[in-house]
Amino acid sequence: MAPLSVYRGAELQQVLKLLQDHQGKVCIIAGGTDIILKLREKKLEPEVLLDISGINELKGISEYSKQLADTGLDGLKRITEQTMIKIGAGVTFSEIAKSPFFSQNLKGLADAALSVGSPQIRNAATIGGNICNASPAADIIPVLLALEAEAIVRSREKEETMSLQGFILDKGSVKLLPNQLLCSIAFSSLKENQSLGFAKLGLRKALAISRIAVAAFVEVGDNAFKNVRLASGACGKIPKREYEVEACLEGKAINDGSIEAAAELFKQVLKERLRGRSGAEYKGEAVKGVFKEALRKALGYQNI
Amino acid sequence: MLKQVGKAEIRVDGPAKVTGRASYPQDLYMAGMLYGKTLRSSKPHAEITIDTTEAEGLKGVIKILTFKDVPHNHYGVLFKDHEVFCSKKVRSIGDPIAFVIATSEKIAHMAIEKIKIDYRELPGVFDAIEAMQSDAPKIHDKGNLIYHYKLRRGNVESAFDRAAAVAENTYRTSMVDHAFLQPEAGLAYLEGSQVVVCVATQYPHFDRQEISEALALPLDRIKVINPAVGGAFGGREDITLQIHLALAAILIGRPVKAVYSREESFAAHSKRHPMVMTYKTAADAEGKLIAMEASIVGDTGAYASWAINVIRKAGVHATGPYVIPNVKVDSYVVYTNNPFAGAMRGFGATQVPIAHEQQMDILAEKLRLDPIEFRLKNCFKPGDRTATGQLLHHSVPLVECIDKVSEWMNQNTGADGGAIE
Amino acid sequence: MKEISLRVNGEERSAEIHEEMRLLDLLRDALHLTGTKEGCGEGECGACTVIMEGKTVNSCMVMAFQAEGKEIITIEGMATKDKLHPIQRAFLEKGAVQCGFCIPGMVLSAKVLLDENPIPTRDEIREGISGNLCRCTGYNKIVDAIETAAGYLNTGGDSNA
Repeated sequence: MAPLSVYRGAELQQVLKLLQDHQGKVCIIAGGTDIILKLREKKLEPEVLLDISGINELKGISEYSKQLADTGLDGLKRITEQTMIKIGAGVTFSEIAKSPFFSQNLKGLADAALSVGSPQIRNAATIGGNICNASPAADIIPVLLALEAEAIVRSREKEETMSLQGFILDKGSVKLLPNQLLCSIAFSSLKENQSLGFAKLGLRKALAISRIAVAAFVEVGDNAFKNVRLASGACGKIPKREYEVEACLEGKAINDGSIEAAAELFKQVLKERLRGRSGAEYKGEAVKGVFKEALRKALGYQNI
Repeated sequence: MLKQVGKAEIRVDGPAKVTGRASYPQDLYMAGMLYGKTLRSSKPHAEITIDTTEAEGLKGVIKILTFKDVPHNHYGVLFKDHEVFCSKKVRSIGDPIAFVIATSEKIAHMAIEKIKIDYRELPGVFDAIEAMQSDAPKIHDKGNLIYHYKLRRGNVESAFDRAAAVAENTYRTSMVDHAFLQPEAGLAYLEGSQVVVCVATQYPHFDRQEISEALALPLDRIKVINPAVGGAFGGREDITLQIHLALAAILIGRPVKAVYSREESFAAHSKRHPMVMTYKTAADAEGKLIAMEASIVGDTGAYASWAINVIRKAGVHATGPYVIPNVKVDSYVVYTNNPFAGAMRGFGATQVPIAHEQQMDILAEKLRLDPIEFRLKNCFKPGDRTATGQLLHHSVPLVECIDKVSEWMNQNTGADGGAIE
Repeated sequence: MKEISLRVNGEERSAEIHEEMRLLDLLRDALHLTGTKEGCGEGECGACTVIMEGKTVNSCMVMAFQAEGKEIITIEGMATKDKLHPIQRAFLEKGAVQCGFCIPGMVLSAKVLLDENPIPTRDEIREGISGNLCRCTGYNKIVDAIETAAGYLNTGGDSNA
């Protein structure tokens, strides 16, 4: 095995060039909170370790406008402006938790960031790292799935945008070529009647890996669930959307009955998915509470 | 008259600890120091042969210690049932087999990977009850049962016959690690004719005796220095790296340091005994306890450590703090191929409340009594006798304690019955 | 091997590092600042906490080369030659120190907490030290100490009360 060489990237272009030149031999390190363990346990033995934590282009949370082509009910195409929120892949969980962008109806994102590890871990660990590590229990992925976020990936030649759902291929595996780097995450900003909630079940408050995490995006109208997007963490090989449960809520009046019915369905869905695995019985029961908490928080962030 | 009692004193080691100046064994460095690393068994029960040839050829490896280097290859708190390095067989995962001494930690790690151990696996036993069967695999040459403690008072059988309520259940507790924050570490060096071992320990004098015996050296050739200790909770009562380091320093003549990782720390020191506790407890119609029968089986893993004392204490405390006129307790402790158990906070008295307090709740429910009332009716008061015959004539402030707790609960319980923080 | 330089406790330091070294190893083995402790090596216990660029990090979760050019504060940088930092004094006075192995990390977590939030509630203090384990389970006295330290710092840090 070649001895390890280490580089600190200063600029994005330089990093992309290194990735291009040493394809497949480079291991990216950002916050390091997952990678360093893997290096020490020799689960990873890269030739080059490339630190991207100092790259300004990967930092920052910002808003930008995106033009969307939309076909209306009348069949006519329109161009609408959509405000997007972009989070640099190098943004830490502490920065997300403290960002004014993630208050009020987007507070679920800050809640998810705050549920990660400990202050020390949140000061180092990045959103990009959490995504690329693609752990089944990654805390930030469910909220981003519920927001239908996009992953923005760059190589030396080009930039590509894909759905986050498509980006995460499997446990520990993402759709990233050896010469590509995940640069940012973007999603539509929320309207007044939309909000995001997040709840997590861990073995204790701090430093707990999720046993179950649920993110709930809700759009409310006429005291009913107009649009619901749910995603779970630690309930399968990768965090995933829970379409069946979403469908059960959509169009329903917001009341204990509809929420309870959806919780019951969530339990059935999860027990079926985890059939034969230890913890299936427990997780099936527990997901009801976690789901209801996430949903209640989402509604609460709109004062409903 | 009293200068310190009743006053808030600054502890003597406080200033060094808040400034980071306090030296724990891993903080000691010496010129020309070598690094030691332990090779541990990866199998729970197996005959072994050891081949260190390739590892010894590695540049930077100074020496690899095995059982052949130890004059008296044994140690242990009650029985000398641990080997300093396993000679013929391993009895649990984590048993030390060899100790590499090298010029750097990295080389020591590399050498460990190059030592070849041929494991010929033997059937193992991992359940304390199974280990008591006559056909169970034997961990040591004698049988697996180490000790049986018996407590008899009155006649439980006749008392059970006239009981108004009887609860009979089996409870199990798990193995627990102390997880003291400072993993084991040590530094040994020669000072004139003495070998000095710096190690965080609960008993420097026992360590000295164990080193002396294993190395066949008189006590005055051995000095144990106990620098700052980063927590212990019973987990530093047994030998871990003391003898390895002393032997290394003596054979090589240079300072040798070893620092365990958290993972190795878990593998190296004792655990709290898991116990299986079968209880039958009876009360009369007035809510007075009349009989208790308990069978307690403790799993000491591959080595005895403090097994006898711990399981005796579990038996002595089996009734909990209650007056019971008829008592029959049998507590047993057995060897298995699990990690070894020893001292840990409470020393056997910690496990039994899991059983006797749940028995109290279950009996109270059967008798339709308030569980606090039921405890107050039966708990020790001055003048009572314990099941072992001890007369409690001094302070027994249990009623006072229960009263305070229930008062607090009444004030701080929300409408939903949950505690208010 | 690689030469790096960084600021530690206000001083420019440079050191030869192995590529696989962590910041923890750099501080302890190369700079002999052994007040930074290794308790678990995997970011769970917080004994290796140091302040990097004003924020707490687990120095076992930072590679040494990543610290190039960074400003680091370790426990050795908290007291002056003849005076304890008010947080350290409060830890002593409140009996918050037992085995002491968690204390350097606790003190540094407390420092950043109080830098950002000079009058924290007890819950905020608990959250602030949630990445630091004390296995002697002396948390209440540690929280008392940080509360007391906040008082000292808010009154200029020189009270001898």
